[in-house]
Amino acid sequence: MDTVIEFARGPLFRLSLTVCVLGLGYRIAVIVAQIVAAWHRAGDRRLPLAAVASATASWLVPIRLWRSRPFYSSASVLFHLAVIVVPFFLAGHLALLAWLLPGWWPILPQQVADAITVVSMVALVVLLVGRFSSASSRFLTRSSDVAVLVVLLGLLLFGWWAANPAMSPFAGRTMLMIHIMLGNLVLVMIPTTKIAHCALMPFARLVFQLGWHFPAATGQHVAQALNKEGEPV
Amino acid sequence: MAMTIECSYYLEPVDTTDLPRRFLDALAAVLSHSNYAMVLDTACRVSTRCGRCATSCPVYETGGEDRDIPCQRSELLLKIYRRYFTPFGNLAARFGPSFELDEAYINTMAEDFYRCTACRRCTLDCPMGIDHGLITHVARWALSEVGIIPKALRVATREQLDGETRNTSAIPKAALLDTCEFLEEDCADEVGIKIEFPIDKRDTEYVFFPAVSDYLLEPDTLIGNAAVMSATGGSWTIGTSAYDGINYGLFYSDRMLDRIVSMEADEVRRLGAKKILIGECGHASRSAKFFVRTFCGADDAPEVVNFMEYTHRAWKEGRLELRPNVITERTTYHDPCNIARSGWIIDQPREILRHICTDFVEMTPNGRDNYCCGGGGGSVSIDEIREFRTLVGGAKKAEQIRRTNAELVVAPCANCKKQIAEVLEDHGLDHARVVGLHDLLIKAIVPPKEMLIENGDADTDAASAL
Repeated sequence: MDTVIEFARGPLFRLSLTVCVLGLGYRIAVIVAQIVAAWHRAGDRRLPLAAVASATASWLVPIRLWRSRPFYSSASVLFHLAVIVVPFFLAGHLALLAWLLPGWWPILPQQVADAITVVSMVALVVLLVGRFSSASSRFLTRSSDVAVLVVLLGLLLFGWWAANPAMSPFAGRTMLMIHIMLGNLVLVMIPTTKIAHCALMPFARLVFQLGWHFPAATGQHVAQALNKEGEPV
Repeated sequence: MAMTIECSYYLEPVDTTDLPRRFLDALAAVLSHSNYAMVLDTACRVSTRCGRCATSCPVYETGGEDRDIPCQRSELLLKIYRRYFTPFGNLAARFGPSFELDEAYINTMAEDFYRCTACRRCTLDCPMGIDHGLITHVARWALSEVGIIPKALRVATREQLDGETRNTSAIPKAALLDTCEFLEEDCADEVGIKIEFPIDKRDTEYVFFPAVSDYLLEPDTLIGNAAVMSATGGSWTIGTSAYDGINYGLFYSDRMLDRIVSMEADEVRRLGAKKILIGECGHASRSAKFFVRTFCGADDAPEVVNFMEYTHRAWKEGRLELRPNVITERTTYHDPCNIARSGWIIDQPREILRHICTDFVEMTPNGRDNYCCGGGGGSVSIDEIREFRTLVGGAKKAEQIRRTNAELVVAPCANCKKQIAEVLEDHGLDHARVVGLHDLLIKAIVPPKEMLIENGDADTDAASAL
């Protein structure tokens, strides 16, 4: 067991982290390149950057969310806060990244981390239930949407059991191993699934704004490509 | 076996031979020569399908049909993009069963993408900022390249670009001149003030492009426009080579959008003018404001001004005097999506209305958050879907108006006016009527002496008789 755990949080973790970092880096590089290329092609290059930045920033503190489905929205915000805080400030996680982080990096007290984990698990359950309690969300939900939530819930639950073996139905080491394996899985999923929005969201509004800034000759070029030049309406 | 496209709007005959392949070729051409591949790629990656867009779509909120959830509608195109235009989609198709585009799927797109009013309200509520209106725009362009365009939009655009009259309402030049002359006489007789519609005047500051349908349906708006210009000494003209601000290209094809705004810019240049002045029309304003620069030379392109901007500025600068509190009926204001969603024109008309009205009330929500009238995206021109437009798409607007208990609904947009008039009728809101902002201004303008008809029996107060 210990050998497996050491492998999972050693070479396998470093491999998963590498996939995550390189994958997200690649995604960001692609979207930045697309933005730059689109801006160069645009007939009108004046962009309302302040408005785009403001709209993007406003979703980081998503007050607008509470206008509709406030319970579901609150769960969503709590969950997002938790998944940012716990991985980066929990002592057990920081030990894996000790080589990377500066000495002054704050460490979350275990009790606080436990509380946040419980809150985020509850939030995740609310999100899962919310996906099926609203007709529109239920219709939109794909199996992959549920799978992502279930994997994340498992990650949190097994992590909490590992940290609180007295509450665990199985041995703490088993819980820890499953938690680490799920953690590695999530790291790989981050750049390859919709979780990539964590890195792409800051660019998304600029992309959609730029989408309205057409190349000046777009119509002519499409007409040429389809042999429709001079064709009547 | 070839099928026919069946949807709720009329189509001209569509060649369905090898339709899926031709659609994919059209989409490939569009994606190759635009920035839309970036848009679809990003939408695929950031969409969490949370369903929040469903809470802000007036069509879905009323109709409750799954296909009207903005995210679901966009998925129709994103699915094609992922399958045919990404390496993973192509690879996956080689090794297993995969989605294949067929005629039935195209038929679904033909219907569903025209149930969207392209109001873009859902974009405000999407945590990722996905612009479903833009994705609808891309889909409609690709559909149009295989001939799937509502007949009403296509016929009007054909007349505007290839017809003799060069406008969507097929108003000949002679009829335009007669109408302008009639409006001048009507204003003199009824209001007692002299207005002028200058025709083909050279070297003016503005060339005027209203929705051409205003010449047929909204004479009061045009009289108000001319009165403001006369009162402020505005330098403007109507060009007889192009006098229609309507641009259905915005609703179905960037190729047409380009050609129509280019006609406007060409007319400004022909007359040696400086700026494009768009009348009370949301989509005409947006298509000119945001795409004249794109297609007509960026910094060399003529500036675009909406008439309400002109009037508001003149009033603020003291060049236009408006009498306060002349409108005594309860009045509310409808924000046309195409000028309000971006925050462009929201406060200007309200400042004027609060000044001239004794009882101005707001709809809720309003401004950027406003509800579409239900006739956006060109659907107002499609008469055969009126029931859907007014009873589904327009239900939220009807409820908003009902709650204000307003007698006057100011809708500074030709499309919104037509739609709201039908919404009021179909929802039994008989106590309310739709007007333009400039329809009301004719009652409030304090005309300079030179505008008054000498020896006439009308005075400034007679304006209120209009």
